[in-house]
Amino acid sequence: MTRNRTGAWLQIAATLAYMAFSLGPLVWLVLSSLKSRDDLFAWPPKIVFDIDLGGYAAVFGLGPAGETAASQGLLGSLVNSVVVSVAGTVLAVLFGTLAGYAASRFRFPGRSDFMFFALSTRMIPPIAVLVFYHIMFSSLGLTDTLAGLILVMVFINLGLATWIMKGFFDGVPTEVEAIALVNGYSRLYAFRRLVLPMVKGGIAATAGFCFIFAWNEFAFSTILTTTQAKTLPVRVSSAMGATGIQWAQICAAGVVLVIPVAVFFFLIRKHLLMGMTFGVLGKTRS
Amino acid sequence: MAVTRKAHGLSDRTVCGLFVLPALAVLVLMVAYPFISLLYYSTLRFSILRPGVPAEGVGLENYEFLLTDPDLWDRFVFTGKFVVMTVAVQFILGILIAYVLQRNFRGRDFLFTLFMLPMMLCPIVVGFLWRYMFNSEWGLVNYLFSLFGLGKLDWLGQAHNAVWAVVAADAWMWTPFVILLATAAFRGIPKDINEAADIDGASPAFRFFRVTLPLSMPILVIAFLLRLIDAFKQNDLFFAMTGGGPGSETMTVSFTLSKIAFGYFYTGEASALAVILLIIIIGLSMIFVRYLLRLTEGN
Repeated sequence: MTRNRTGAWLQIAATLAYMAFSLGPLVWLVLSSLKSRDDLFAWPPKIVFDIDLGGYAAVFGLGPAGETAASQGLLGSLVNSVVVSVAGTVLAVLFGTLAGYAASRFRFPGRSDFMFFALSTRMIPPIAVLVFYHIMFSSLGLTDTLAGLILVMVFINLGLATWIMKGFFDGVPTEVEAIALVNGYSRLYAFRRLVLPMVKGGIAATAGFCFIFAWNEFAFSTILTTTQAKTLPVRVSSAMGATGIQWAQICAAGVVLVIPVAVFFFLIRKHLLMGMTFGVLGKTRS
Repeated sequence: MAVTRKAHGLSDRTVCGLFVLPALAVLVLMVAYPFISLLYYSTLRFSILRPGVPAEGVGLENYEFLLTDPDLWDRFVFTGKFVVMTVAVQFILGILIAYVLQRNFRGRDFLFTLFMLPMMLCPIVVGFLWRYMFNSEWGLVNYLFSLFGLGKLDWLGQAHNAVWAVVAADAWMWTPFVILLATAAFRGIPKDINEAADIDGASPAFRFFRVTLPLSMPILVIAFLLRLIDAFKQNDLFFAMTGGGPGSETMTVSFTLSKIAFGYFYTGEASALAVILLIIIIGLSMIFVRYLLRLTEGN
């Protein structure tokens, strides 16, 4: 019995230690986003301090902070982030839904090669393709444009969307279309009116995942933008003015960036497993 | 009505083609075309900075140069070290916590949700956050160390400390992923198997190592391969935390590539290294996909 009791205490201790490790930095992120310049560098670090909203003001381009060079464009980059993530998500989900349906229902030649090809978008190190994208984008006039970044967001999410949507379509019995076809309806009609409504939840989950990955994307965006099309993560990384790194701004931007992600995470919580494994693992069994 | 619907009834073949086409177009433009172009560029000596200078065909010289460069080998070794360290930490922590979360206790689901939070943050912000906390002069980590009577450590200025600092940040962000998958795997084990083990009087350790772990293997292998590939790609954290320094001691292969491509602008050489990286990743992905196929076909 004593051995079991020690085991239980060890487990509680491990959980508490992990909790401190996991949640501590999150608390620190929020606290730091609210600190004034002096408090940020205080030793010992302060837990109680006067709240300074300068970091947030900079992110939203408000107040006196909106005028400073370091914060200029933060709001613009927030707008860029929204445009690029939303448009990229819509297109990736659209293409992924169509391809996922085809891969689920039709045994076309090269189907498994196509699925591997799609999966590769998740596996490729960004920098490896960036060497070429940099050249391709400048010859197509896509460097530093929102259109170019939207194309990148479609690329990074296409495989994810295709694999997840295929998983959801696999869950719909093929009899649904078979019956519709026998009754004289077309394949397209059956797809649009019967199958799509059945995977509505799946489409929403897929969109949630695509949005999160696009929203947090940094590697591509930082190389392919120079001034106009910078997204918030890129802008944050260059918040190193002459006065050093703008820690409060970075932390405030981090908090602002995480809010939509947290909302989407909550909405798609049932499909977390599917999304994080690229649709490889089915729905969670919680 | 039925008639009009039939009127634009396309054959399955056409529908299939139309449905695959947009995705295929994106894949060809963004994966196949770049890969083929990189293969070609990797045999040239040229720089995008000097478009006036004609590219010179050098055959496999770029590869020869890269593969005989001891510095690049060091970068591969460093990347490998980082991958092994971070994946090991994530799996030890992740499986331990998932094991604890198997039990039913009050607030378990709430705790589980809280544990998922680090994954949601923007990676580049995570890098800066940990750089801020690891600052040697006023960082939180050194403050916590000082509470235990330890002196201030130069976390990011010393290579052997810096790698642990980045491992801490990476493990902080991605251990939740292992927890998520391991929890799913553990919960997926049929109840009667665990009950049978209990009736037979198996010790918790025996049950965990001989029943729980083997039965969870398929999902854990998927988690492992995904974490392996992601750790190999990790670049944002190094960019934000160490910038590859001190010197070039914490530069991963990806980081080195970005330096060759966008620091020195040796485009031909960068293309060759990109091809090498892509081949490694394609190899890893092949193992991954083959494993998946065996898994799904076995079902």
